[in-house]
Amino acid sequence: MSDYDVIVVGAGNGGLGAAVTLSRKGLKTLLLERHTVPGGSATTFCRGRFEFEVALHQLSGIGTPDNRGPLWNSLKKLDVLDDLEFIEMKDLNRIVIPGVLDITLSTDLSSVMEELGERFPREKDAVSRFFKLVYSYAFELYSYFTNPAAGADAVPLVKRYAFKTAQQVLDEFFEDPVLKAVFGAYWGFLGLTPNRLPFSYLAILFFSFIEMKPCHIMGGSQALSNALVNKFISHGGTVRFNCAVNRILVKNGSVAGVETGEGDEITARYVVSNASKVSTYVELLDREHVPDEFLKEMSIKTPSPSGFCVYLGLDCEPEEIGITAATNTVMNSADLSDNQYNRMRALDFDADTDMAGFSCYDVADSRFSSEGACQVSLLTLKYADPWLRLPPTRYYAEKYRCADAMLTLMEKVCPGVRDHIEEVEVATPLTFMRYLATPYGSVYGFNQYAKDSLFMEHSRETPVEGLVLAGGWITDCGFETTIKSGISAAGTIMRSLGAER
Amino acid sequence: MKEGLIQQFEGYGEVARDIEVCRKYGIDYTLEKGSVEKFINRLHPGRMTLRVADIIEETPLDGTLRLVPEDGYLPPFQAGQYITVSLETGNIRTSRPYSIASPPNQTGYYDITVRRVKDGLVSHHLLDGVKRGDVLICSGPAGNFYHNPLIHDRSMVCIAGGSGITPFMSMIQEIVDCGLDREVFLFYGSRTLEEVIFFSRLEAIAGRFPNIHFHPVIEAPPEEYEGLKGLVEGRFIRDVVGDPAGKTFFICGPQGMYDFCVPEIENLGIPRKKIRTEAYAPAAPVSNQPGWPENISPDDRFEIRIKDGKVFSARAGEPLLMSLEKEGIFVPSECRSGQCSRCRVKIISGKVFQPTGTPVRRSDRRYGYVHSCVSYPLEDLEILI
Ligand SMILES: Cc1cc2nc3c(=O)[nH]c(=O)nc-3n(C[C@H](O)[C@H](O)[C@H](O)COP(=O)(O)OP(=O)(O)OC[C@H]3O[C@@H](n4cnc5c(N)ncnc54)[C@H](O)[C@@H]3O)c2cc1C
Ligand SMILES: Cc1cc2nc3c(=O)[nH]c(=O)nc-3n(C[C@H](O)[C@H](O)[C@H](O)COP(=O)(O)OP(=O)(O)OC[C@H]3O[C@@H](n4cnc5c(N)ncnc54)[C@H](O)[C@@H]3O)c2cc1C
Ligand code: FES
Repeated sequence: MSDYDVIVVGAGNGGLGAAVTLSRKGLKTLLLERHTVPGGSATTFCRGRFEFEVALHQLSGIGTPDNRGPLWNSLKKLDVLDDLEFIEMKDLNRIVIPGVLDITLSTDLSSVMEELGERFPREKDAVSRFFKLVYSYAFELYSYFTNPAAGADAVPLVKRYAFKTAQQVLDEFFEDPVLKAVFGAYWGFLGLTPNRLPFSYLAILFFSFIEMKPCHIMGGSQALSNALVNKFISHGGTVRFNCAVNRILVKNGSVAGVETGEGDEITARYVVSNASKVSTYVELLDREHVPDEFLKEMSIKTPSPSGFCVYLGLDCEPEEIGITAATNTVMNSADLSDNQYNRMRALDFDADTDMAGFSCYDVADSRFSSEGACQVSLLTLKYADPWLRLPPTRYYAEKYRCADAMLTLMEKVCPGVRDHIEEVEVATPLTFMRYLATPYGSVYGFNQYAKDSLFMEHSRETPVEGLVLAGGWITDCGFETTIKSGISAAGTIMRSLGAER
Repeated sequence: MKEGLIQQFEGYGEVARDIEVCRKYGIDYTLEKGSVEKFINRLHPGRMTLRVADIIEETPLDGTLRLVPEDGYLPPFQAGQYITVSLETGNIRTSRPYSIASPPNQTGYYDITVRRVKDGLVSHHLLDGVKRGDVLICSGPAGNFYHNPLIHDRSMVCIAGGSGITPFMSMIQEIVDCGLDREVFLFYGSRTLEEVIFFSRLEAIAGRFPNIHFHPVIEAPPEEYEGLKGLVEGRFIRDVVGDPAGKTFFICGPQGMYDFCVPEIENLGIPRKKIRTEAYAPAAPVSNQPGWPENISPDDRFEIRIKDGKVFSARAGEPLLMSLEKEGIFVPSECRSGQCSRCRVKIISGKVFQPTGTPVRRSDRRYGYVHSCVSYPLEDLEILI
């Protein structure tokens, strides 16, 4: 007799989605999390009177009352909707290239087209043709995945654009590099510059944010993680924090349980791993249990960048320093080519060439911080490599040097921001590595080049019977998708149990 | 089925070639085995094994433990941060945070300076029970009390009380050792002159370095004492530093000192955000805290029921964490001052007292999670660990 039916390793979105579903179905489930709080990326932390959001800039897939999105439906299945309050953002993104462009796109299709048409009058028609493509493409994708039997000719746009990069499509439609940059600016949410990013992801992002509106969660993403844990506990689930899993135990090719960092062995018939695929295969499973073919399949994938983030608690209202939108991107030029890509590989941040995004949730809802205060999370993507090479004794100095340069960039849009900082915390790629335990501190799982994209057959098979994966390393990244991956992981286990009975 | 379809997509050939190449020259992830942990441990080890290399008597009340790493490596820290010593004393497995008194540029050892606390549990053990050569299990450095160059002024007014001098000793030593462009005005409040820790070292530093100013403030000084007397008052600060604008204030000391000094500094016209305080758990008795219910005495006892576990009785005036530890129930802890949420537990039923300003996440509050190191039972409790 096993101690548990299922052990879920990691309480990130994927782990939580699985744990709640399994416990709801009556399975005896144990959830083990290294950190003191649940959520993984989806957490907050406190400094002074601020509670900083770690990850969530814009939540996709909630939808509007008459058009509920996929995430809403997932959360409904998980029965946590009553515990959560979503705040719809009024703006898509404010994009600034100092001296060149300062445009705020709203979340409504006709307004976006108008705003762009006004700023780029000569390309007004191209803008509307582009959005037409984005929409038709999104619909075709849906039919492609729901009804593949219809064949490739039923989805001519997919056939044509599936393997195009975002840049190729932008080049096809637009002349002005600044306009292309407006569309390309969202690459920061996806991890690859437009010249490397499959067009599909950019199309899905625009379609989804415009049709279903970007949201934020009252209380930050921790409110979501806590609601899920609460649900899990109320279904009889057991959760242990401060408890890392060191090994997944295997007997006769099947999962037997886990061994914790404290050396306890806990048995179970199934294990859901929300740890990265890399650590699941390389750290948690003994080498002998991972056939070469699985490593080979993984070897073609590259880890996504990590991040460098400055969390600011400000003693002013957003408008006092010129923050007018919840989501912002600041670039120094319209050049989003490999020049930007390569900057992710540098240790330093250059306020005169690099780009960053920042979010100020208080613009969407003033209850976010206390009266007379607001918080900003300033993020740029960076690979961990140079940070790993840095001698530890230089760590703090470099961290402040980069953060300082990020603030210099932000000042170009928000002059005087420095005078209002009450609390500041800086996260480097090593910080992400520490809190997420992902290889290289990756924040978006594996990179999604065309060869890794949604069209390719992703085997859900794992090297060990009874082991199922969940989270951002087996799906596209983001809250919507990772939660769904957890629900699917639970489904796999339920099916396997059903087949047995 | 889909496999067959994508072959008809434009550009499939190139993608297929990409995959071929990557399969040949891909990443061998097995080479990275153990690397995440290794890199994290270089900066933030969860646990360090440190050996007591030396014990230095500082004052009749204080001793410094010089700690060297068993494996030869000490992680970097920011002057002002602490380590948490975990130990067992009197059959109780517990922990205590101690600021690192040595500077970050001293990479061979960490000094912690421990003051004997009346009726205390651990301080006596560290001062009397620990010998040279003993091993201590410690957490990696942590804490938010340090000079942050992004927002703190180069000119610092530091106010220490008692053992609260330790983070400042680290900061000052770093400034002079590394020639940092910073200025420190240190006001060090102490009950008597004998209890001033690091007196001669601080005097010597202030004598040699024009950017370090040292002002002991003695509550019960000898008759002939000519220095500052009483408590650290705002007027002392104004007299010594002149215009207090453009300076950041740092305070570390017993709670009484915050209660007294923070308003004094605010009266100088300093905005709250320029005043940084090291967090401490409330001083005993906790019933002196604002918001403590009048009808409950710290000596009242309540029943604590752990879900699927033990039932025991605990004093209202003792932090829940400590009561749990006394019952032999281990809950991880680090800051023991409500800051880090390591000791987070869920209150299923019953009420606890939490000092105002304890940084608990909003959604944690909603679901009954508390930081047990600064939570005091006010009713019978059922808790989930
Ligand atoms: C800075 C940043 C900004 C982002 N912005 C957005 C955004 O705006 N919108 C959006 O939709 N998405 C965003 N994301 C992406 C999104 O947050 C992630 O895709 C998603 O949260 C990942 O979920 P996951 O299930 O993969 O788990 P993770 O969040 O990676 O969590 C995994 C959990 O497993 C635990 N764990 C790992 N190994 C072990 C072990 N051995 N034993 C026990 N526990 C273990 C970890 O501690 C962690 O809690 C952002 C991410 C980051 C970091
Ligand atoms: C961030 C941080 C940094 C610190 N740095 C230092 C440092 O550098 N040097 C240093 O000396 N200390 C430092 N401390 C304090 C240190 O961690 C210990 O709190 C101190 O040594 C006392 O520990 P103790 O076990 O001897 O006393 P405890 O047993 O914790 O008792 C502390 C106080 O509580 C009272 N008390 C004890 N038992 C009870 C009870 N049952 N009910 C009510 N009250 C009780 C005692 O009378 C005493 O006044 C730091 C604390 C923090 C939070
Ligand atoms: S030990 Fe840090 S909050 Fe309790």
